[in-house]
Amino acid sequence: MRDARSLILLLVSLLLVLVSFVLIWTWGYRFYNKNDEFKVAAKLVITDSNAMANRIRDSLQKVYNETLYKLDTQLDSTLLNSDSLKKQLDIKLAEFYRLSGEITAILNRRNNNYAEIDVARKKIGELQSKADDMRDKNRVVDSENKKLTEILDQVQKTEKSSDKNVKQGSAENNVAVEKSNPAYSVFTASEMKLSAITVNDEKESETFFADQTKKLAGAFTITNNNSQLSNAEVIVVVQQPDGRVLKNSEWESGSFSTPEGKKIYSYKLNFNYSKGEPKRLYFFLKADAYQKGNYTMLVYYNGNMIGKIFKTLS
Amino acid sequence: MRICTKSFYLVILTLLVNSLVLSAQNNYVKKFGNSVVFAGIEVGSKGVKMSLVEIEKTTLQNGSLNVMKDTTVNTDFISFTQATYQATLAALNGLYDMALKGYSIPANHIFTAVSSGVNIQAVKENKLTWVDQLTNAFRFNFNEPERKVSVIDVKEEARLSHLGIVPDSRRYNTFLIDIGSGNTKGGYFPSDNTKDFKLFQLTWGTKSTSNAVEKRLDGDNSLDNYNKQLTRVLSGAENSEIVYAVNESGSYPVSDNVAFSGGIAWSLATLMYPELIGNSVVPVTYEEVLSFNEKLLKNHSSLSDNNIVKTLNDKTLDMDAVAKEVKRVNQVFDQRSLLAGTGLLLKIMRQFESVYEKKSFYLVKNGAVGWITAYVNQNSSN
Repeated sequence: MRDARSLILLLVSLLLVLVSFVLIWTWGYRFYNKNDEFKVAAKLVITDSNAMANRIRDSLQKVYNETLYKLDTQLDSTLLNSDSLKKQLDIKLAEFYRLSGEITAILNRRNNNYAEIDVARKKIGELQSKADDMRDKNRVVDSENKKLTEILDQVQKTEKSSDKNVKQGSAENNVAVEKSNPAYSVFTASEMKLSAITVNDEKESETFFADQTKKLAGAFTITNNNSQLSNAEVIVVVQQPDGRVLKNSEWESGSFSTPEGKKIYSYKLNFNYSKGEPKRLYFFLKADAYQKGNYTMLVYYNGNMIGKIFKTLS
Repeated sequence: MRICTKSFYLVILTLLVNSLVLSAQNNYVKKFGNSVVFAGIEVGSKGVKMSLVEIEKTTLQNGSLNVMKDTTVNTDFISFTQATYQATLAALNGLYDMALKGYSIPANHIFTAVSSGVNIQAVKENKLTWVDQLTNAFRFNFNEPERKVSVIDVKEEARLSHLGIVPDSRRYNTFLIDIGSGNTKGGYFPSDNTKDFKLFQLTWGTKSTSNAVEKRLDGDNSLDNYNKQLTRVLSGAENSEIVYAVNESGSYPVSDNVAFSGGIAWSLATLMYPELIGNSVVPVTYEEVLSFNEKLLKNHSSLSDNNIVKTLNDKTLDMDAVAKEVKRVNQVFDQRSLLAGTGLLLKIMRQFESVYEKKSFYLVKNGAVGWITAYVNQNSSN
């Protein structure tokens, strides 16, 4: 009985020793293998520098391509939207193409050293900052465009509401000034006035009654901040309540072309203009009789309407 | 057969004149409150014209007038045939009768005259007796042996045309040129009075230019050849006469405006500016006439009444009136006559084009009644 117990204990001890041995061997093997891996890695770094350079170049190429792609998409919209920034854009573009050329040349070389790759990295960084700069400019152009669109919308709304007022026959509101699309006109008209003049004892005074009117006197100020013109021409159209154009004399009226087709004018004013000068222009129109109702005075430059007011005679 | 044709022609003309007389019964609207109506009847080369002119009483001396009506009967008097003579006499009698009875204008307010064109042609063909015979027959018909039928000379007609067409405000800075069918005449007032008149004349007119081109066609009647020969004819006219005549007139430094009257001016004004149908005068530029000339040559069909009306979008315009007037122009002037007239007009206009100074050009539509109106105005104040 005692012998049997001793045999079991002996076997268990042997088993424990065996397990311990296996564990120690496994740990020793793993430890040995780990050291080998480090050794192999160290060997690779030292022995295969070209492969490493290629890997870095590939990643740089990837960054470069990505930058180019982003820039291209931004550039398209920038070119479309910014006429005013075209010159600046051209300069930036020239710089950009110079940089990208240099980077391509570096990356295409197969035997690059670290110094060259570092230069390429710096240049790509520079390229990215230029792209950011252009992106900022694009944002400025976009915001300018938005502002212009808002102004246009406002002008169109004003035009619609003024037309409505005239249709409703609002006699109280005699004068309403409008401005046309500023993008198409060099001149702008302001301080527009159309007055009916009557004569009593050889003295002229303003009247609001059609049957007392002897002539119509018109005036407006034009301004042009873009150019100096030696012989500028502004055309005035005065529409009577029945829609017909009021003509002073057949020698002074005629027709002119507009985007909506040919129109008859009441008066043509020729003048010399100095850039930025607010020029006040005057004209008179005489008719045999004056109708009651709304008169419309329109001022045109180069076929585009630059100002419009209404005048009611009762 | 020939007698039958002549008789038929006369009957038709008499019926036409009579119908005009009947339809004329007080068919006019006065512009001034206190005015007198006068009539002027002119025997011209192509026909007999009558203008009714209203002159304001208070300003009779100043000549504030309104042309109320003008009527023309085409008779072609300068052909000097029996048929055209009879037609001219019938038209003259008919229009006088219309003024007297139809419009109730007293005989002393009706003025009769023979134009310079008739006189020049009559002298040239030794047919002055035909003119005398016509005026005597007219006097006899109305039993007015003392009636004055003046034969106007070319300078006086040009002077009267200026007075009748150009407004006082532009009297001394406007050069008026009447391009007729056989010749061109006009002039301006060089001094500050309406007695001194500087006459301008050219032997070229719309028809004479066209005739000269026709003679050069040499069997090739294509439009291309017509245009080629027209260029040559006009080039010759420009070098031999137009440049010299304009320079000799001395008008360039004193004229700001150059106004053209005559049939070709009326045609161009109507076709180029149909929207200005109500205007008797329209402003024009050299470039606009040049571009119209191109259109005439390459796209004449676009000048039909239908096509022209389609281009108009002004709702206040009387489209029927525009179409009617355009149709009338196309009936009087075909493509080739228009090319000849426009070409001649361009050659004259070119003499006034300069880099340093631009003249204002005008096309006058009612030039035909210009001189007779002034003649009436002048005689009415006497």
